[in-house]
Amino acid sequence: MYLPEHYEFFCPVKINSGNRALEQLSSELDALNARKPLVIAKKDASERGLVDVIIDAFKDSGIAIGIFDGVPTAPDLKLIKELFNIYRDRGYDAVIAVGGGTVADTAKVLNIAVSGKPEDIEGCAGENMIKRPLKPLIIAPTLAGTGYEMSKYAFFDGRDYASHFLMPHLAVIDPRMTIPEGAVTTAATTLTALTHAVEAYSGSDKNPLADAYAYTAIQLIMEHLVNVIRDQRDRNGRLSLANAHAMAGCAFSNVAPGVAHKLGKVMGDVCHLPPGLCMGMLLPHILDKQMSEGGYHIPDLLLPLAGFDAYASTAENLRARRAVDILRNLLKDLSAASGGAILRIWKDAQVSEDTLQDIARRAVGNGASFDMDGCVEILKKAMEGR
Amino acid sequence: MDMPGYYEFCCRVRIISGHDAMEKIPDTLAQLNAGRPMIVTDKGVVGAGLIDIVVNAISNGVNIGAIADDVPPDSDLRIVNSLARLYREKGCDSLIAIGGGSVMDTAKGINIVVSEEADDLMKFSGANTLKRALRPLIAIPTTAGTGSEVTLVAVVKDHERHLKMLFVSYFLLPNIAIIDSRMTLTLPPAITAATGMDALSHAVEAYTCLAKNPLSDAHALAAIRLISDNLLKVTVNPGDKNGRLGMSSAATLAGIAFGNSMVGMVHTLGHSVGSVCGVPHGACMAILLPYGLEYNMHKNGHLTAELLLPLAGALVYAATPREERADKVIALIRRMNQELYEATGGRHARFFKEALDRDGKEMVPKEKLPDIAETALRDGSIFYNPEDLDYNDFLMVLEAAWEGKPLDTCLIRKG
Repeated sequence: MYLPEHYEFFCPVKINSGNRALEQLSSELDALNARKPLVIAKKDASERGLVDVIIDAFKDSGIAIGIFDGVPTAPDLKLIKELFNIYRDRGYDAVIAVGGGTVADTAKVLNIAVSGKPEDIEGCAGENMIKRPLKPLIIAPTLAGTGYEMSKYAFFDGRDYASHFLMPHLAVIDPRMTIPEGAVTTAATTLTALTHAVEAYSGSDKNPLADAYAYTAIQLIMEHLVNVIRDQRDRNGRLSLANAHAMAGCAFSNVAPGVAHKLGKVMGDVCHLPPGLCMGMLLPHILDKQMSEGGYHIPDLLLPLAGFDAYASTAENLRARRAVDILRNLLKDLSAASGGAILRIWKDAQVSEDTLQDIARRAVGNGASFDMDGCVEILKKAMEGR
Repeated sequence: MDMPGYYEFCCRVRIISGHDAMEKIPDTLAQLNAGRPMIVTDKGVVGAGLIDIVVNAISNGVNIGAIADDVPPDSDLRIVNSLARLYREKGCDSLIAIGGGSVMDTAKGINIVVSEEADDLMKFSGANTLKRALRPLIAIPTTAGTGSEVTLVAVVKDHERHLKMLFVSYFLLPNIAIIDSRMTLTLPPAITAATGMDALSHAVEAYTCLAKNPLSDAHALAAIRLISDNLLKVTVNPGDKNGRLGMSSAATLAGIAFGNSMVGMVHTLGHSVGSVCGVPHGACMAILLPYGLEYNMHKNGHLTAELLLPLAGALVYAATPREERADKVIALIRRMNQELYEATGGRHARFFKEALDRDGKEMVPKEKLPDIAETALRDGSIFYNPEDLDYNDFLMVLEAAWEGKPLDTCLIRKG
């Protein structure tokens, strides 16, 4: 088994998953020496009843929670200032974010402010600029999150943040929160998680601890994603996918982001597509190219992708090819299971030669490990491959 | 994969692994706002020359406040209190624990006293009585086995009042575990073998007992693979640096796995043999592991069968018919014990009647087996074992493990 001569790993996120996981929150807060949490959410989380689930979970706890359900789509530092005042004036001592995306980003940046002062935020942008542990942060994810919410990253008001101190102390994955999100959203968020896990597991700076998270995430996604897209009522499948998202986020925080992540993110941005769908579409082509380059661990992917028996019965020199084929077939199955909805999004992506060049340039600028030509080649293949 | 109805998983320890991982200590201590650590260790570690290696590695940038090397093999409240006094006298601001389980327990105990300004440690015993972060604690294991660098438990004994205090809290987790190949390079073959089998038993029981979850599974599988790759290699060739690193990572992975999934009857019986006869924990685990798998076979044979892949590799797994895989796993673990027995010139015991103390005296006289079975009945770790055991069942397993005969499957009560 591959073991690097040097590695570091850190994952402060505790995972509580399953039935009535939210009811454990009061004792978890107690263990974090907190007793008055501020719950933050978007309006639509309230409208969909998710905030009520949390209120209900605290019903018999004797803990009075605060609720702020007005996080907008594009929050800014003014909102942080407002939330900081609420947190300080009313004596809150922990933050619970309902769902991922901008709510989680808001919670992370708010946590910088309440652990010091709002003026700290600017200086904490960038890589490893936070110097000490922050206040308790808990995230109760939905399937609309990609696992990014569990990661060390935050993107807020035009600035990037990266620090292990931003990772939540606790991920509460409760089936009442992982309600159906629709085929396209679920596929997009899960393909992001899958890309993160696959790139962590097959990349050149993998380590056995990050592997354990990535491995489990890949396994869970392969077992459940197509079923959930086919039938959104699959409650256990949805819970399993939410687990996979969280695990992928933990792995993602411990390895350098891969080229599929970087290229897919830019492509999503430029073409106004869900980044996860772009990553999913690019991933097989990228692995294909990496297979011939050496330094990657693509044959190993077959184990979590296909299971023990298929892995063991495939000759060593065929494993990488088979792993990539499985990922390609997954995309086909997702299209079929969504009644073509996912495929139609790819088909409708009108990408001109100029746009390809633009995407490639920006991805290389973001540190993608392929050069311009390599990125363009992948983008073209992905376009043709649809 | 079965998703449990409910599970929790957590390992907040930052792990740094490498041939010169200890050189990272000054920076990591500084990040924790500390720079004057007390080193907690024992005479064995000092005698092996390991403290010098640590001191050399960290003296650039760290101002060592005190070195306490008198931790006894069994953690002791009086030592915890006296070392806590030393910590304060010397103005220390952090702890570096270098050694095995007792050193880790002692350092965790000291940390409670100095962080909580506690004069009575008893007040903090039990689960979740700690409410905030303690002083920075760095754990440097010197064996590849116990996994106590990543567990949230500490045991401190009050020998005067005959009390065993158990502390359970996420705040007891070390901030950092340092896995450095230099710390296990001089570990003698017999201890290498026993502690390595200890790690294997953690991983195997984590995977096959009742409180497993998807993440503990993944950690267990990786640990088993690394042990299979490296244990015999480093027992035969102690200076194999990469092999040592592999075993240390395996022990950490296995520690995380069982710390998040609990264990079963192998540990129940192992604790009991240890407490009645003083046999080292790892030696007990090595002997009992195949028996635990045999006993539970009718409940978890499908899980045991899966372990053939990490244990023997893809070719053997694919070539072995599904219904034979679990038996093959048990046979392979017995073969590992046999190979380790040969590689250590007979010092790695395969069964209890072979377990000898330093003077060559038998450690587990056969007439002690009833005592051991009695003790096992009072050990809580049996709770997560797939099949139940009463006194007669324990005794039956012990007799077979004493003699070195496979279990007579007809004698297993299948509940």
